[in-house]
Amino acid sequence: MPEWKPEILRRLAPLKLSSAREAEIADELAQHLEDRYQELLLTRQSEDTAFRTAIDELEGEYLLAQGLRPVERDWYREPVAVGKDSSNVFSGIFQDLRYALRMLQKSPGFTAIAVLTLALGIGANTAIFSMVNGVLLRPLAFQQPQQLCVIREIIPQLTKFYPTFPANLPSFRIWKRELHSFENIGIANGISIHFIGRGGAIELPGAKVSSSLLETLGTYPALGRNFRADEDDPGRDHEVILTNSFWRSEFQADPAIVGKAITLNSESFEVVGVLPASFHFPQSSELGALTNFSPRLAFLKPLGEDASQFDAMGDLDYAAIGRLRAGVSLAQALSELNVVQAQIAKQANEHMDLRAEIIPLASEVLGPARQGLLFLLAAVGAVLLIVCVNLANLLLARVPRRMREAAIRTALGASRARLVRQMLTESLLLGILGGALGILLASFGVSTLVRAAPPGVPRLAEVSIDGRVLLFAIVISVVTAALFGILPAWQVAHTEPLDALKSGATNTTESRRTRSLRSSLIGLEVALSTVLLILAGLFTSSLVHLLRVNTGFTAEHILATDVDLPPRSYPSNAAGQRFYDQVLAAIRTLPGVRSVGWINQLPLAGEGSVSAIGLPSTNKTDASNFPLADFRVASPDYFSTMEIPVIAGRIYTAADRGRKLAVISQRAAERLWPGNDPNGQMCVINWGGWKTFQVIGVVGDIRTVQMDKSPVMMVYMQDLPFDNVALGGSIVVRTMMDPSGAASAVREAINKIDSNVPITALRPMTEVISKSVDTRRFQMRLALLFAVCALFLASLGIFGVVGYSVERRRQELGIRMALGAARHDLLRMVLRQGMTPVTVGLAAGVVTALFAGRLIGSLLFDISANDPVTLATVVLVVAGVGLVACFVPARRAMRVDPIVALRYE
Amino acid sequence: MDETTSQVEWKKGSAELLILSLVEARPRHGYEISKLIEQRSGGSVRFHVASLYPLLYRLERRGWLVGRWVEKSGQRRRRYYRLTRQGRSVLASQLRGWREFVAGINRITEAENA
Repeated sequence: MPEWKPEILRRLAPLKLSSAREAEIADELAQHLEDRYQELLLTRQSEDTAFRTAIDELEGEYLLAQGLRPVERDWYREPVAVGKDSSNVFSGIFQDLRYALRMLQKSPGFTAIAVLTLALGIGANTAIFSMVNGVLLRPLAFQQPQQLCVIREIIPQLTKFYPTFPANLPSFRIWKRELHSFENIGIANGISIHFIGRGGAIELPGAKVSSSLLETLGTYPALGRNFRADEDDPGRDHEVILTNSFWRSEFQADPAIVGKAITLNSESFEVVGVLPASFHFPQSSELGALTNFSPRLAFLKPLGEDASQFDAMGDLDYAAIGRLRAGVSLAQALSELNVVQAQIAKQANEHMDLRAEIIPLASEVLGPARQGLLFLLAAVGAVLLIVCVNLANLLLARVPRRMREAAIRTALGASRARLVRQMLTESLLLGILGGALGILLASFGVSTLVRAAPPGVPRLAEVSIDGRVLLFAIVISVVTAALFGILPAWQVAHTEPLDALKSGATNTTESRRTRSLRSSLIGLEVALSTVLLILAGLFTSSLVHLLRVNTGFTAEHILATDVDLPPRSYPSNAAGQRFYDQVLAAIRTLPGVRSVGWINQLPLAGEGSVSAIGLPSTNKTDASNFPLADFRVASPDYFSTMEIPVIAGRIYTAADRGRKLAVISQRAAERLWPGNDPNGQMCVINWGGWKTFQVIGVVGDIRTVQMDKSPVMMVYMQDLPFDNVALGGSIVVRTMMDPSGAASAVREAINKIDSNVPITALRPMTEVISKSVDTRRFQMRLALLFAVCALFLASLGIFGVVGYSVERRRQELGIRMALGAARHDLLRMVLRQGMTPVTVGLAAGVVTALFAGRLIGSLLFDISANDPVTLATVVLVVAGVGLVACFVPARRAMRVDPIVALRYE
Repeated sequence: MDETTSQVEWKKGSAELLILSLVEARPRHGYEISKLIEQRSGGSVRFHVASLYPLLYRLERRGWLVGRWVEKSGQRRRRYYRLTRQGRSVLASQLRGWREFVAGINRITEAENA
């Protein structure tokens, strides 16, 4: 019988068809030629003639290829299973994708678990990254923000009390005139103004700003105009520019408001402009100590201050922001500024030096938040790594099943690269699906995070999912896919086809290499979760320590009510005192009230008035002799109400009113009169000029500014040393029962005395304390959440690996049992093998945590990074969880019935 | 126009119709199709391998035919082509067109010769 196929194949060769298609055509055509040949033989032609006539059917060398070319083009592509290198790269990728999709559809359970864990990991990372992006990475929402910087003044003699101060008005005037390094300089100071809005009387937070401030920032009102230079002067300052959010909430975004008058502090102010929505003025925590800006400004008003009324060295409470001229470095600007500062100090003639500090606005605003956020990003990144490890383990478990397939494909000519690509396409597809779902989750997560984040985190309002966040999500999805896909792909691709084909599918056991690979992955997982747990544990202990700190007062059963006195109705200190006397008397008679007092500023509710204090004999020209103390005006009952102990002497009484008497804290007593009795001693205080006070008592130290800072020197007095203002303050009520229960009665009592006095806050004192540690709590909660997720994922990983290994070794276990191994021997063996990587990972994790702990040292409070209790607890927890995760499958191993296991074969 | 060129043109236009109508009643393999065309045309129309199979594959690709390997006992396996639902409707419309065309030609030539 003639050989037709070589003839046909030669003619098909130019078409470069896939070998399968080529073979199919050759088969069919050969059959045709054979039929023709047989027919010709029946007509008694010679074999030779019949052969030639049949071959003629192919019509020369080229006609067949010519006829087939338009039909065959793009039709039959190489079947995937063959996997021979194709010349068309893209066609191969589509094939891989199609095939990957089919494989994922075939095991929906695996696909669902993989996509969901990936989505959680990628979603959490994207959410945290969107915070990092919004807070740290995105440039500040001002024009060319890199040129903006904060200027703070340094009084070298006072650096041990306050390293730097905000600016004062006279300095600002001189800077603006003398400094050439700056294109412009603006200053601002936080204020609050009484306003009767749609929801009743409120204290409206705002800022008085120099007319140059918005120009310096490069912000222009979206509606209306900026302040004019002449409006910086007193008397011409009855104008306001509204922030966009206040304009929307209070005036329903009515553009006609520009040019109209609104009433603030019972005075009429003309609205001259509305700021763009993108304007976010940095808040106090972002502009350094001693500035006072609310996070949600409602308006800006002109300075309206006469600089000549200000002490050249005092009243340091304006935030100054400068815009450096292009090409001028920070160092150049600073040296020029320091020359000017020296001149100012010389002219002031107060025997104090004056220097300055220039800090880029971005680092001033973001500095404090950076470390915490980067830690969270690292923590959530570790969780994603654990997700990767778990998925890699899941995929590795599927390797034996895939080996046969890979072997067949290799045998049919697929290259290793092609096999790896196919496997990677599958993990990439998982990564993309997980990433898409993750982005969806992140968009929910971001709004939750922003709502849960403490007000101390800067620029929270700017946190959103933008292009950069999306890019991040896509990149981590792909990288994650590559990470968890590469090991299994490599394993499959390095299969010896013959080995895989020789052993039956059920018998394709894990190689020793695969098993040790899976074990090391478990070790890695355990190590990562151990690190996270230890760090989260350190945060938790820090917070617990912090909340247990002796504040110096008893916060339980205290209701704190903040009030603000409208200046029109309360023009003097005496008017204010009358109001407080009436309120205290009224509240004292309420049922369930044990005692009541008032103070102008609650402890732990922010910085208050700070002034220099010293002995009358001290040389007043040397500022370093005068430490800074925090001053409070408090009623006599305040101390007993807050349970601040009297250590020596007595508290002033109502009868002492008008006398210049002071009660000081223990720390102030120790510093000013070390070893001596301060009672009856005189001291001088620079509060609106030097004034002399007599000390009549010493009370216990309290945490005034921050829970995590040791107590500062405190000076309490009954009255302000001047009469032209009435102070807003907090009324503290000690109740017998739950303090919240007294809230409505207290509110009613205050309203009855003056319903125009706004109550700005009404909450238990414990809440004030709790709020003061918000940032730490937020950090701790997220760290703990990530650590618990990590441990959970790791335990799933251990469970999966040990369980899988028991499943695969069923037969071996059966044989061992048949040969006389006791069940508890098997249990011990499985446990030992399972726990080995756990133990190694645990040890590695502890060592890593000891190093990592040093990096977050500043985020800890009163606890060392290698706190033995935390370390021991975490080791016990991780070992316990690991043991349970191993024990469950190990018990299954114990229950193996040797007969069944052997029959299983 | 010489004989061969006209035959080629004719074949091009009607080959699809011939093949579709041959597999209408039952599936047939390539050799059988070529034999039937040769026999029924009295030897005046012939398709060689080099032109028949590209045509079959094209029809298959269009979805008018479906080829299937069939192995009958004692024979080598052959590929049988069956008309698809789409092929059937294409055949119907082509036949209608062809008849109309022939009828038109007839009317013209008869009128001329009458």
